[in-house]
Amino acid sequence: MNLTTSTHSGWHAIHVDGQVDSKTVGTLRDYIDQDVNGSLPVALDLSGVPFMSSAGLRTLLTLHRRTKELAVDLALVGLSDAIAETMRVTGFYDYFVVYADLQSLPPRS
Amino acid sequence: MLIERIDALPTDEIGGLKVRPGKPLPFGVSHTPNGLNFSIYTSAGTACTLVLFRRGDDEPFAELPYPAHYRIGDVFCMVVFGLDSEDLEYGFRIDGPHNPTAGHRFDPSKVLMDPYARLIAGRDLWGELPNWERNYPYRARISFDDFDWEGERPLEIASEDLVIYETHVRAFTQSPSAGTKHPGTYAGLVEKIPYLKDLGINAIELMPIYEFDEFENSRIHPESGERLYNFWGYSTVGFFAPKAAYAATGQFGMQVDEFKQLVKSFHRAGIEVILDVVFNHTAEGNEHGPTLSFKGLDNKTYYMLTPEGYYFNFSGTGNTLNCNNPIVRNLVLDCLRYWASEYHIDGFRFDLATILGRDPWGAPLSNPPLLESLAFDPILSSCKLIAEAWDAGGLYQVGTFPAFGRWGEWNGKYRDCLRRYLKGDEAQVGQLAQRVQGSPDLYRPSGRSPATSVNFITCHDGFTLADLVSFNDKHNEANGEGNRDGGDDNHSWNCGAEGWTEEAGIKALRQRQMMNAMVMLLTSRGTPMLLMGDEFGRSQRGNNNAYCIDSAISWVDWTLLESNASLHQLVKALIAFRHQHPALRVNQFDGPGSNLFPSCSFHGTQPWSPDWSDQSRQLAWLMSCNLPEPQRGVDAIYVATNMAHYASWFHFPSLPIGFRWHLCFNTGDHEQPCHPAEPALDDGGILVGDRSVVVLKAMAI
Repeated sequence: MNLTTSTHSGWHAIHVDGQVDSKTVGTLRDYIDQDVNGSLPVALDLSGVPFMSSAGLRTLLTLHRRTKELAVDLALVGLSDAIAETMRVTGFYDYFVVYADLQSLPPRS
Repeated sequence: MLIERIDALPTDEIGGLKVRPGKPLPFGVSHTPNGLNFSIYTSAGTACTLVLFRRGDDEPFAELPYPAHYRIGDVFCMVVFGLDSEDLEYGFRIDGPHNPTAGHRFDPSKVLMDPYARLIAGRDLWGELPNWERNYPYRARISFDDFDWEGERPLEIASEDLVIYETHVRAFTQSPSAGTKHPGTYAGLVEKIPYLKDLGINAIELMPIYEFDEFENSRIHPESGERLYNFWGYSTVGFFAPKAAYAATGQFGMQVDEFKQLVKSFHRAGIEVILDVVFNHTAEGNEHGPTLSFKGLDNKTYYMLTPEGYYFNFSGTGNTLNCNNPIVRNLVLDCLRYWASEYHIDGFRFDLATILGRDPWGAPLSNPPLLESLAFDPILSSCKLIAEAWDAGGLYQVGTFPAFGRWGEWNGKYRDCLRRYLKGDEAQVGQLAQRVQGSPDLYRPSGRSPATSVNFITCHDGFTLADLVSFNDKHNEANGEGNRDGGDDNHSWNCGAEGWTEEAGIKALRQRQMMNAMVMLLTSRGTPMLLMGDEFGRSQRGNNNAYCIDSAISWVDWTLLESNASLHQLVKALIAFRHQHPALRVNQFDGPGSNLFPSCSFHGTQPWSPDWSDQSRQLAWLMSCNLPEPQRGVDAIYVATNMAHYASWFHFPSLPIGFRWHLCFNTGDHEQPCHPAEPALDDGGILVGDRSVVVLKAMAI
């Protein structure tokens, strides 16, 4: 799994590439702990993620809690249908605002 | 300042992994600082090895024998550090004597599943043929017990206010006609919540969802070539784990979250979740069955054994769990506490519950400690406890089940009496009067209340309602046992032709009979229970024991919802009517009644004069209570039932000036049985058609 970041329409975009599971999730969690600081709203770009395990989904909730604590918006971007469906039936989906792609993010100044 | 705990660090190394002595409680796996605690009980085992697999691997990546000083009493416990808990599957090998006549069946070549496993992998997709050679088929995993309930809690609806709906996770939505995105799963069931809420039920009772083996006794039907399964699931593999193959996300190991989301969704819709739990036996069968867990862990503790070491078979399925052994008792208690606290389950229905009251040699106990423990448990105090008060060993305890003031019962006598009355058997009205008021003959002497009685006419076991009025005899050929299986005491009547018919008169009578059954059930005191799909005439084609059928025979056919719309509308209206009328839900015998009438009174064609003779096939009941503040006033419901083959004029019990009887339901008109409480055409009485039921309520003019 690779992580890259960019600023997109005023959002702090975190691009995730590859499978998110117990073996890779530590990198994402560490990044969240160290670099999400509340200066910009956060967009987690998951369009390059084919599969997300239970541990991965839990990290999304961690990110949700962290951004809530910092009072910044969080959006998920580019979720695959399969991941979105897994999130729906296990109750994770309801916590998030989801956009189809980065272009759909509402611009933030 | 956070001080690091000493036990956050290992003390030893075994099998290449860092470890330290663990804690004996809780049993199973628990998280400790930096590690996982593995605790397992065996009284006669002499040595234990923890076996660790990476997910799905046939061969373990580590085997860790417990050192002698890692054993406390009869419990082996060890903390292992540095494990990837999501990718881990674990089991145990136990060494000890292999001496079946003494009750011991230890075999260290077998990897055994943790009886406290909360997440079980290995059989994630329904009906996928297992690899029978696999040494460790059901594989314990570590679950995340961190679900966010967002403040949701169990509903605690009073038992007398419940309308229970019995269903089977897979059968309910597996048919394409269900139109669900996730057929046959927990998620599919959630998709049907709007339907269930609209129907008006407020409790769903799920047939077994603990991990079970659908391939237990699986075989191919000799004629149809169809595979037969253990479809119902009354044979537990793991008491703490939801069945993976019932989860749309089972292949991702997310059944725990999916099932919790189910409970949360039902609770948000105001519907309780009751689990049908099977503690009387396990999937390990008898001496010829597989060794999955208990048999190799401590056979003599967990099972009732004959003096020669064979398995007692009070369950009719090969073995009997030794529920009044203190170790097993604690397992059952731990299990229910876990489901009540971790899954917010509202109640439990205990399959063949009288077995839970037998001593280790099978004799019925007068004061069974397990039943008492459950009744007084602080964590289970608001859970419904419902017994199926009989077992396959011949113990029948409807009315005498040791209830400790807490237990409800599936009332088999209600079912039999209502069925017999419905089909016009003679000598039923006396007993019917007992049944519709909550069976005081059974429950009053021991100080119990009407809601003790779970009233039902049909359940998963036996005919569906449509089949009850369409078949005189069972037709279980699809089960592949030459129609020998299933009960013969169905008290059913086919209304003139066996099975499918185009004869309009017979079809109309069947409709009326289904409606009659529903009206009587939903106007009886006690807790009514409906079987899935009966509200729109679901049929199993005359099969009264479809335990092994995973096909359209068992699956709910949702096209019937349209073709039997008037029945569905009636049931929906009846449930709403029951919720609106407290007189039907009074939960005391000899209640004070209302300003107009006694709490419950019986009538015949003449008011206050029921015909109790054996030839009588007519009975009316009038239930009444004063309405609580702020409504005030009187609730009075009059139900006149005529199971004779001729119409009769029923004179109403008279009402004081200012009140009139209003007609709410009349099954005599089976196309339009529901009436919007219109004044009765005649103040003096009403003509009740042959094999018909009417319901009226007293209203101030």
